[in-house]
Order: sequence, then structure tokens, then C-alpha cells
Amino acid sequence: MKKPIELRIDSPLFEKLYRHLFPGDRDEHGAIIAVGIVETPRGTRLLAREVFLAQDGIDYVPGTYGYRALTARFVAEKSGYCAAENLCYLAVHCHGGEDEVGFSTDDLASHERGYPALLDITRGGPVGALVFARNAVAGEIWTPSGRFPLDRMTIIGSHIRRLYPSPQPRPRSADPMYDRHARLFGDIGQEILSGLKVGIVGLGGGGSLINQWLAYLGVGHIVAIDFDRIELTNRPRVVGSNSWDAMEWLVKRRNPWLQKLGKRFSRYKVHVARRVAKQANSSIRYAAIVGNVVDEATARHLVDADYIFLATDTIQSRLIFNSLVHQYLIPGVQIGAKVPVDRTTGQIGNIFTVTRPVLPFAGGGCLHCHELIPPDRLQEEALSESERKAQRYIEYEDIAEPSVITLNVKSAEQAVNDFLMMFAGMYQPNVVLQHQMSFVRERLTTKVDALIKEDCPHCSNGSHSRRARGDRYRLPCRRSR
Amino acid sequence: MTPEVEQAIAEIRQAFSEHTVEVQPESQGGAYIIVHSLPIGEQYTPSTSWIGFLLGFQYPHADVYPLFMDSAVRRTDGQAWGTGLSSPVCWNNRNTVQISRRANRWNPTVDTAATKLAKVLAWLRSL
Repeated sequence: MKKPIELRIDSPLFEKLYRHLFPGDRDEHGAIIAVGIVETPRGTRLLAREVFLAQDGIDYVPGTYGYRALTARFVAEKSGYCAAENLCYLAVHCHGGEDEVGFSTDDLASHERGYPALLDITRGGPVGALVFARNAVAGEIWTPSGRFPLDRMTIIGSHIRRLYPSPQPRPRSADPMYDRHARLFGDIGQEILSGLKVGIVGLGGGGSLINQWLAYLGVGHIVAIDFDRIELTNRPRVVGSNSWDAMEWLVKRRNPWLQKLGKRFSRYKVHVARRVAKQANSSIRYAAIVGNVVDEATARHLVDADYIFLATDTIQSRLIFNSLVHQYLIPGVQIGAKVPVDRTTGQIGNIFTVTRPVLPFAGGGCLHCHELIPPDRLQEEALSESERKAQRYIEYEDIAEPSVITLNVKSAEQAVNDFLMMFAGMYQPNVVLQHQMSFVRERLTTKVDALIKEDCPHCSNGSHSRRARGDRYRLPCRRSR
Repeated sequence: MTPEVEQAIAEIRQAFSEHTVEVQPESQGGAYIIVHSLPIGEQYTPSTSWIGFLLGFQYPHADVYPLFMDSAVRRTDGQAWGTGLSSPVCWNNRNTVQISRRANRWNPTVDTAATKLAKVLAWLRSL
């Protein structure tokens, strides 16, 4: 099992568990969590999908060996469910105390008695146990190849926070370059940013701004994904691009052959983005991926990210983004700017920009629930160019839309500030990250109420949903060609 | 083909068990499907046709749309095609009549390619 081992849980599920464990009676309570799993070179993530609360006196009773224990019936029922759903099983209870916690000898002995059998029942698990104090969590994860301690738990909401078995050592002083940052969110905030892996999908106008700002903020690791090269018309919007990147000396020639040559040798957008990021922060770890996130091999670069920014204009990539967010419990945001033009009159319509945070739970801004992944548009985008032309009624034409950098700034700015506030823990507790739309010509900003579809294949807990299933579910990606 | 597309094909074969189902995988994980000799109604000549469509690689999130039938089909009353039907359209190297029926309420957890084909057949027969 790859280390470190992290349990990720969304904030509504965590609140449900926490209220059950700590109702104020200072007694011990129990529960079971069904979790998905993803293993990457960055470590193992256990992804909380469902919490089953053990009712005191019925499911959680005085134990033969220790103070209390889950009943055999409750364990059998929930471990059977985990096996049927291909999920992992974690038993939970609480101890007293505040900032430090560990298993008792009785706890460890009960693991020895029960977990070898549970590993068989759940077809290799992993299985394990967690013990909570009010501000701490410890865990022991059993696999067929051994036992491993849980390193931390991450709670995903408008404040992304971590719990550990014991208080963490004070962070090192931040690089003096970040003195003004540290005055805002402390050395700990800067350390959190430097430990993050952030994905940016689409490095055009909006994505290139996000890329530069994240690098300036001191984010430690960026994965940038885009298959496009810089074109002459991108230059006024793609941050840091220059005339050589766009091969202007060739593409501005009258000779079509030289123009074509220039386009062929212009620089990839992700390579420009890497240069910009390195200029802002020379120690940044940067993966510039020339590819399409719709392809499975490319999408997999993001399964262990801490946050994902989506700045593309295809519905296919929205589907992949929404799937990554929910399947791997990775918060993210989709941004965009639209300048509608009446094709017959040429009149500019109602210009708007959007910032759509998506958190991995029902009501968290799921793009499917908000009907932002139209099934017909997915089908159209799957067609080849010749098929689209042949099926000519389809309203799909390659006409470039108007665009300016200041509109991109409008959507990107809110997205990056949300990201910063979430990880630095600076939002007020009552903040809800709703989708936001700005109607630029009316100077009007509106918030969109959260929508929930009960049987959503992404954010619900229905049997067909991908939520928190990790690597034990397929991403809706294009097969490798 | 993706597992979802393979399952959709199995469901089509089951739902239309008396009809030949032709499957041609495409490079992204989807497949072109043609179901033969479907009864489209006496208001058409001939009254049967093949119906074809692309199951895209993001099915069932993607709609099954548009669909196509044999370009030899005509309305028996000699009228032109109404809303939702157009011809000739080239699809998969064939001349076809294109059937444009988007599912405005497509639900990937409920709707399937087989139910979509059944609904389109019912719609054709209702015209």
C-alpha cells in the first residue's frame, strides 16, 4: 500500500459522523464508513462514500473484551454491503480527549480477532478502524500485505481542513519572498499551498491566468493539460505568450505554406504556461501535459490532485471534470466567459462570465444536477468533423467567438480566491460556494441556488453513482487509440 | 468498446431479438449500430427499414441521437418529410433519412439505447 495514507470525506458526511460521535455526553459511540480507494505514487487515498451510524444499545453495545463494541450482526450487514458494492470497510469509534488520539490495547486486540476474517469477506479489503478525539483521528488499515497507520484525514467543504493523530510540528518559516502571504494566512497557510497538487485543464485565456496566479501564490505542484498550440489570436489573452511562441514571423506571411509551417511549429500552450510558472516560482514542480483530458491516460494525471480548475469550453471535458471531482473527492471549479453573438444581425448579446465551484457531495454544485452537461452536446462532440458537417442541422459551427482577457479575469479571479480561502480556512463558517454568474453589460452578479437530482450518477449515493468509488469505477473517458 | 456500450448492445439484441443487429466499433470506444427490418408503419413505403445510430464513447451520459433510416423510405401519401426528418444525409457511407429526436430529459441512470430506439419507432409510427 502506497504511503502516506489519507482518508478523504466531504463536510456534510463528516458533520453527520461528528455529531453522532460527539453529541455532548462524553460517552463512546460507533459507526462504519464505506470507502472507495485510489493508489498513486503520491500515496493512498481512502474515499468516504457512506457513513452508517451504530445505534447505541442496538448496534453498539457493551463489549465482551472492551468497553463497547459493534454487534456481530451490524458488522456482518455492513461488511456484506461493502463487499457487494466493492467498497472498503472502516469501523469507527471515539475516545475522550481533544488533540491527540490512539487505539487502546483492547482496540488493537479486537482488530487482531476480527480483521483477518473481514479481509476475506470483503475480498481483500482493505478494512480497518478509525478512532476519533474531538480534533484528532488515528487509524489502522489492514490489507492482505500488512497493516498500515492512517496519516491524516481531509475534510472537504468551504474550509478544507485536516485532522491528524496528534498535533503537527510547527511549520518552518516561509520563504521571505512570501512574507506578505504569511502575514495573511501564516506560515502554515504557505506550507499548505506548497504541498498541494493542482490540476489546470485548459491553458487558454482563463487557464493561463489561473496558472500564473497559482505559481505566484506558491502552489507546489501544477499539472497543466491542453493539446492546443498558441495561435496569433491567442496572444492578447494567453498570459506570458510572445511572438515567437505564436511563430508570428511565419504565420503573418502571405504564403499559405509558410503560415501552415508557422502553425505547426508554434509552441504548445502548456509549455508557455510552464515557463510563466517557473518565472514566478523557480522551485515549482510542473507537469506540462500535451493532451486531452477526455483521454483516460491524460485524465489519470489528476486522480490524486488536491484541486482541479476547468477552463475549457467542451462538454466532454466538463463530464470528465465532474466525474473526477465526485469519483475521487477532489474539489474543483469550472470557469468561463461567453459573448453571445446573433449570427444573423451580428449584435452582441448578454455577455456573462461564470465561476462554478463543484464540491463532491449532493448540493455541492454538481454540473450534472445543474444540467450543464447536455447529453445531446456530448453526442455531437463525439462526432468527427465530417460527420458534423454531414449532419448539417446540428448547430455546431467553427466560428470564433469574441473574447477579451478582462472577461477571463472576472471568472478566474473568483475561482482562485475561492481556492485560496478554502485551503487557508479563511471563509466565514456560513459561506456556501454557490455557482456565480456575472452579467457584464448589466454590471450584475447573481448566485445560483444549488440543485440536486436524487438519482444523479455523479453526486448521489445511488447504486449507479460514481461518488467516492475511486479506482473501482470507470471514468467516462475515450479509450486509448 | 466501452463496457457501457457493450451492455447497451446486449440490451438492444435482447429487446429486438427478432431483428439482425449490426455492430461496427469505432475508434474512441463507441460503436455504430444498425438494427434491420424494423416495422416503421404503413404510412411509409416500404413499411420496414433499418435504423442506425452511433453509440458514443460517453454513452450513457451522451444521448443516442440522431438516428438514421434507409433513404429509399418515402411517405405513402407522397408528402414531404415533416419536422424531425430530413434527407438525404450521408451517414456511415450510406444515404439516409435523418431522424432528429433529441431526448430533452435524457437520464443516464434510466434511459438506454434500446428504450430510445423503441421510442423513436413509436414516434415514427405515430406520424
